[in-house]
Amino acid sequence: MGARPHILLVDDSALVLDALRLLFQESGYDVSVARSVTEAVNAAVSRSVDVMLLDLTLPDGDGLEALVRLRAQGAEPRVTAALTGREASEVEARCFGAGCRAVLVKPVPIAQLIAQVRDWTSGPLSGRSPEKH
Amino acid sequence: MHPVDLTTTAEFRIARLEEALNEAAQVNAELQSRDALKTQFLANISHDLRTPLTAIITHAEILRDGILGPLSDRQRDSVASIISGGRQLLEAVGEILTYARGAANQLTVSPSEFHIAAVIAQVSALNEPLVAKKGLSLSVNIPDDIPLLVADREQVMHVISNLLGNAIAFTPAGGRVWVAVTSVTDGDTLAVQVEVGDTGIGIAPEHHDLVFREFAQVDPSPSRRHHGTGLGLTIARRLVELNGGRIWVESMLGQGSRFFFSLPAGSSTR
Repeated sequence: MGARPHILLVDDSALVLDALRLLFQESGYDVSVARSVTEAVNAAVSRSVDVMLLDLTLPDGDGLEALVRLRAQGAEPRVTAALTGREASEVEARCFGAGCRAVLVKPVPIAQLIAQVRDWTSGPLSGRSPEKH
Repeated sequence: MHPVDLTTTAEFRIARLEEALNEAAQVNAELQSRDALKTQFLANISHDLRTPLTAIITHAEILRDGILGPLSDRQRDSVASIISGGRQLLEAVGEILTYARGAANQLTVSPSEFHIAAVIAQVSALNEPLVAKKGLSLSVNIPDDIPLLVADREQVMHVISNLLGNAIAFTPAGGRVWVAVTSVTDGDTLAVQVEVGDTGIGIAPEHHDLVFREFAQVDPSPSRRHHGTGLGLTIARRLVELNGGRIWVESMLGQGSRFFFSLPAGSSTR
């Protein structure tokens, strides 16, 4: 039995964070939350993250900036998925270009979200995993 | 009149004309900036509406799925209504935003090459539950030799989704809804034509133009049986035209409706 997977939720809305935190805590995850790029980077640097769910519009910049900075610091989460307000091809392309595994449109039906995250965390969990892709 | 006077008059008039031109340019700039403000306002509002809605729907789904403990059937039905109401509201907000961006020419086209069949399969799978719930039948007919499209996939999906959503909404139980694709030649160019048809209530010919007009509802009364922002088909037309195609309807009152759109096949899309 390994530790519970660590999920980092990044969104500027406390309402949305509370809902997602409840969902993942009740589903057996260790949950951290961040409301800005800076908070997200700090959270992931201080403790390695298995899955980061990343909102794109944050008060101190573009959410993808957090992913770029974490990669530069060698603290990239094992999987990052973008959570966007709406589907648009250009947004999607930007997210995949930045290294996101998936682009999910809010509100993602929870059954789908849990299944997706469970799939990503079903392998060996990260203790700062060395894998490149 | 002296020649000097003539020159003065001409100069005076030119000066007045220039002044008027400047004024017109200023008014124009002012209007454009107000229009941009309005669009920005709509975009902000819709973001601010979506965020709490996301939280509401997520919490309601957590309850519905029994994650916080089991619910009785009646409780689950009630929560399910919160979710479907929330999702309906979300869709309306999304339409307003898309419309605002379209009106401000902020909709960009990101073309890629894809097969229309994959998009139709995705949209019809999403609509399956609703089709079953309403007691309708949905059929899809796509020949194997349909050429690839080069268009904005999300936008084409939005259009098909809208047309199919309407077909389902306006067809009473026991009716049929279908999607059929053909390839047609339009002059020298090859085009892919999509038909979304139904055996529903139909549209009188004098209303065919109206349905594509913004905010238009054929029945605008508050007690109307079919709700919506009245923007769906306006957006659909905008998206089809942005991708170099055209959209139209063939229908008679009480005889069902057939909506068509065609998009250029291959590399001729801008």
